Amino acid sequence: MISLKNNYKRLFAGVLALAVISCSNPWDDRENNDDANLSVTLTEAISNSSEISQFAALLKETGYDKVLAASKTYTVFAPTNAAMAEVDTAILDDADALKQFVANHIALTAYSSVRSEDVRVRMLSNKYLDFEGTSDIDGATIITADHYAANGVFHIIDHALTPKLNIWEYVNSQAGTSAMADYLLSLKEFSIYESDIDAKALSEEEGAGYRADSLTNSYLKNVYNLNNERNNYTLFLMKDAGYSTEVNKMKPYTIKVSNDVTVDSTAIYAGYFTLRDLAFAKKYKKSELPASLVSQFGVEVPIDQTKIVEEIHLSNGIVYIMDQVEVPLSSRLLTRQIEGEKNISFINGPRSAIKYRDKKDNSLAFYPEPTLFYDVIVTNPGTGRFMLDYNAKDLYSTTYKVYWRAINDFQTNVINQSLRVAGKFKFEGDTRTVSDLVEHFDPVAVQPNVYTEVYIGEFTLDTARNLDLISLIAADNTTNGNNSLTLDYLKFVPQVKPIP
Amino acid sequence: MITTIKTKTTKGIISVVSAMTLLLSLGSCQDFLDVQPEDKLAEEQMYRNVNDADAAVIGIYGKFMGLAKKYVILNEMRADLMTTTANSSPYLKQLSEHNETADNPYVSPKDFYELILNCNDALKNFDIMLAEKRFKQEEYNQRYSDIGCIRSWVYLQLGIQYGSVPYITDPIENIDDVKNISKYPRISFNQLIENLVDFTENLPFKKPYPEGTNLRTSVDGYSTEYFFINKECLLGDLNLWKGDYLMAASYYKKVLETSTGAASSAYLFDKYRLSWSAANIMVSYISGRELDTNGLLNSDTEGWRSIFSRPVDAQWTYEWIWSLPFDSEFAPANPFISFFSKNSGDYQAKPSQSAMDRWNSETQTNGFPYDARGPKYTYKMVGGEPVIMKYLYKYESAGDPFKTEGDWFLYRAAKLHLRYAEAANRDNEHRIADGIYNRGGIRGAFTRPGLNTGSDDVTNEMQTHKPFPYDFKCREGQFPYYRDDWYRASLGVRGRANLLRKEVVGDSLISIENNLIDEAALELAYEGNRWEDLVRIARRRNDPSYLANKIYDKLSKEGNAEAENVKAKLMNPDNWYLPFNW
Repeated sequence: MISLKNNYKRLFAGVLALAVISCSNPWDDRENNDDANLSVTLTEAISNSSEISQFAALLKETGYDKVLAASKTYTVFAPTNAAMAEVDTAILDDADALKQFVANHIALTAYSSVRSEDVRVRMLSNKYLDFEGTSDIDGATIITADHYAANGVFHIIDHALTPKLNIWEYVNSQAGTSAMADYLLSLKEFSIYESDIDAKALSEEEGAGYRADSLTNSYLKNVYNLNNERNNYTLFLMKDAGYSTEVNKMKPYTIKVSNDVTVDSTAIYAGYFTLRDLAFAKKYKKSELPASLVSQFGVEVPIDQTKIVEEIHLSNGIVYIMDQVEVPLSSRLLTRQIEGEKNISFINGPRSAIKYRDKKDNSLAFYPEPTLFYDVIVTNPGTGRFMLDYNAKDLYSTTYKVYWRAINDFQTNVINQSLRVAGKFKFEGDTRTVSDLVEHFDPVAVQPNVYTEVYIGEFTLDTARNLDLISLIAADNTTNGNNSLTLDYLKFVPQVKPIP
Repeated sequence: MITTIKTKTTKGIISVVSAMTLLLSLGSCQDFLDVQPEDKLAEEQMYRNVNDADAAVIGIYGKFMGLAKKYVILNEMRADLMTTTANSSPYLKQLSEHNETADNPYVSPKDFYELILNCNDALKNFDIMLAEKRFKQEEYNQRYSDIGCIRSWVYLQLGIQYGSVPYITDPIENIDDVKNISKYPRISFNQLIENLVDFTENLPFKKPYPEGTNLRTSVDGYSTEYFFINKECLLGDLNLWKGDYLMAASYYKKVLETSTGAASSAYLFDKYRLSWSAANIMVSYISGRELDTNGLLNSDTEGWRSIFSRPVDAQWTYEWIWSLPFDSEFAPANPFISFFSKNSGDYQAKPSQSAMDRWNSETQTNGFPYDARGPKYTYKMVGGEPVIMKYLYKYESAGDPFKTEGDWFLYRAAKLHLRYAEAANRDNEHRIADGIYNRGGIRGAFTRPGLNTGSDDVTNEMQTHKPFPYDFKCREGQFPYYRDDWYRASLGVRGRANLLRKEVVGDSLISIENNLIDEAALELAYEGNRWEDLVRIARRRNDPSYLANKIYDKLSKEGNAEAENVKAKLMNPDNWYLPFNW
């Protein structure tokens, strides 16, 4: 019986212990972690912090206090009162500018200061700010980070994030003071290419960017859309003297006949073919600028840092104001290479005569190591004067030296083929006629198994233009084997004109 | 504390209940409670007649198809032609780098043994049925041999992957007994091959199911003729592993002569002979556009790739010996689409750089710097990355995400020719071996230069003048007129791929054997033969570097830091085999 009593005691003690432990119910505790921050909204939390009271007042003034009390999740970069004192009063006095100013401090997602990578944060102002490392937001420094509230997080920063212009807005702001900016803006009226006209009309009708290329300005459409907030760009904006030097250098190569005496198309095209090489699809900080950059059109542009007058950080990149960006004509004038296998049409024979070949050149006569190349040959057309046609756009008004690489490794007899360069053609019924012949080179004998580039001759263009019909023409001989064609590529090398 | 129930008042009730229980249980001795379940079969309900036996055969093949994915992965990912992608699971990377952990699901031999035990059970029951005269001797012979061969095939795979394994031929109830070494000791790979050759050669029936049997029919639109294992191919393979090359060549030759004796027809000249007449399954170009890359025949029904995409038509049957179809309408589902496809699947595997370099270092007869079987057919660049296409063509041409049709590619004429050549080569028939695989085919190898088939008397030309299995007659003559069974065999595996002849350099035996295995890589890549080829040759030559160097080439070309270590590891043949455990 004694042992039984002890057992009861143990049981009692055990039950008591259980009862005491269960007084603290972890399930009920889950909501109550004693973090007062999580019971208030961002609006309340911000207004509770005295060092950012001015910004809190602006939130209220612009109505964003209600936004920040909502149940979405936000990040607020709140400038200190000292930082607010530096803000331009022009902004504070203008209701719209003020609203944009406040919106530029708020993002619709929670961004902690601790992240694995840098982010480009889209603010409610539709501007994108770079959040780099743990404390740098668009150049301002975070003083105290990661204040949590129920619907997001706010960081206190030492400078206000005044909304910046983007590059295109900046160019607009320079109208009348910069000749290069004026020129860029003039491409709203003037269309560099015919296809620009439709694109501009469409953007007029449906809003810019209705289609990816329906933009209001030929520069934005054909180079980069510098009005796009989502990407970063670098633009080199030359001062007037340097700008006119560079454009004048280009003028002899962009000679155009204008049908309106008031419009100097030569100058406009000289401007375009100079300035299209000055925008780049990346933000290059001054420390990151290499000695030269290659434009998307293939021109190598030397960057002389001593010519930088000013570096302007904008919401979608950087504009460098330059005295001059000097590009030698030998770099500016691009060699045009036309691949044989990319013919646009053919005539005087069956399609089955054309063979597109995948080849490897093991000869080491031209390439230093065995190299894959693709070419085209025409064999057994059963007709004479088989033609493969090509075109080339945007050629300069200058003399071109012509080369080709044509491999005759498929027959033992020599291939006699000629090259005809013409501007336009038209059809009358089934007959194709060439309306402006530029040059018809004499037939060239392509010897078997020659793997090098061969000089064909030269032609001169008086005006800058497109060539719509460049034809490789077979011998006028219906005997197969004597009417073949072969072409790896054509190369048109523009010549720099002697300075008069 | 002891508790007692006060029983005085209840004793009476208990005795009544007991009595009733007794009564009921006596009553239940009758059959009315012994009802058979309607959705399950009891053992004695199976194997009653030949139809039940056929159902067992079909059931085993259904289960067999569940091994398809594992078979391809083990034989390709461990070898040098296939490698991992950014999406591959760590387990696949382990296989590629030969450092499998115990929990790697691809390593377990359990599903191989599940199938083996199913086979054992069926074989035992076939014996019982025969003894009880529930089906005819002939029916027994066909089905017993078929299932016996499937079992031998699975055992050969086990040997290739695991080296020493238990050879179990009795039905056992508990699969885990397989792991019990005291009950089922593990035998060496050599011993296993001996056992398999013994068992398989003694099977009573070695031909496909003859026409008229229930198993040779059409199921859901598929002819079953090519569903079943080709027993002579298997016997050829087993003897090739054993080193009995004459025997291997003999079995292969019987399959090569499948159509011999038929009336003069495309079937006679084209079936399994790599005939120039089977024009839709070669690498070829639109007539007159042989030099045009865009003239390459490359569609579901034209060109070499149509081997993998064409419907079962005459030309399909000239190539395929054993192929099992996956259909979206019934199980098992096609495992290959999600494994290989980048657009519709997980893209778990891709061709290795080493494999792509193989194809791209070949030259076609038109001078194009590649073997079209690689970059044009076997893989395709999708978004800048190579995707293995052999298993995806049917799915892609259906253009419907739910139509997951495809095939498990098990045996075809090109493989047969390469294996036959391998056996012949080892049997010192080098000229025949080279002829079978190289450009020109067997006919080219035995046609004297300058022979004019239009005017010369070819009676004693264009033939090997050898006894079986090296007897080939390829005569084509007008005066007197000849059209021998092999007269169309003028391509060879390599000629069919539009490639230039590959020269024999140095020692014929080794050079031709190297050429054959290299050719198998180009022709049969990703069909599950590569690891087995490497192991077979490395074992035969007692030269681990043959295998190790190829794996090294794969890993080093993709910058894998483990390449040297893996090579050193594979120089020890013990490390070729997977751990036997689950």
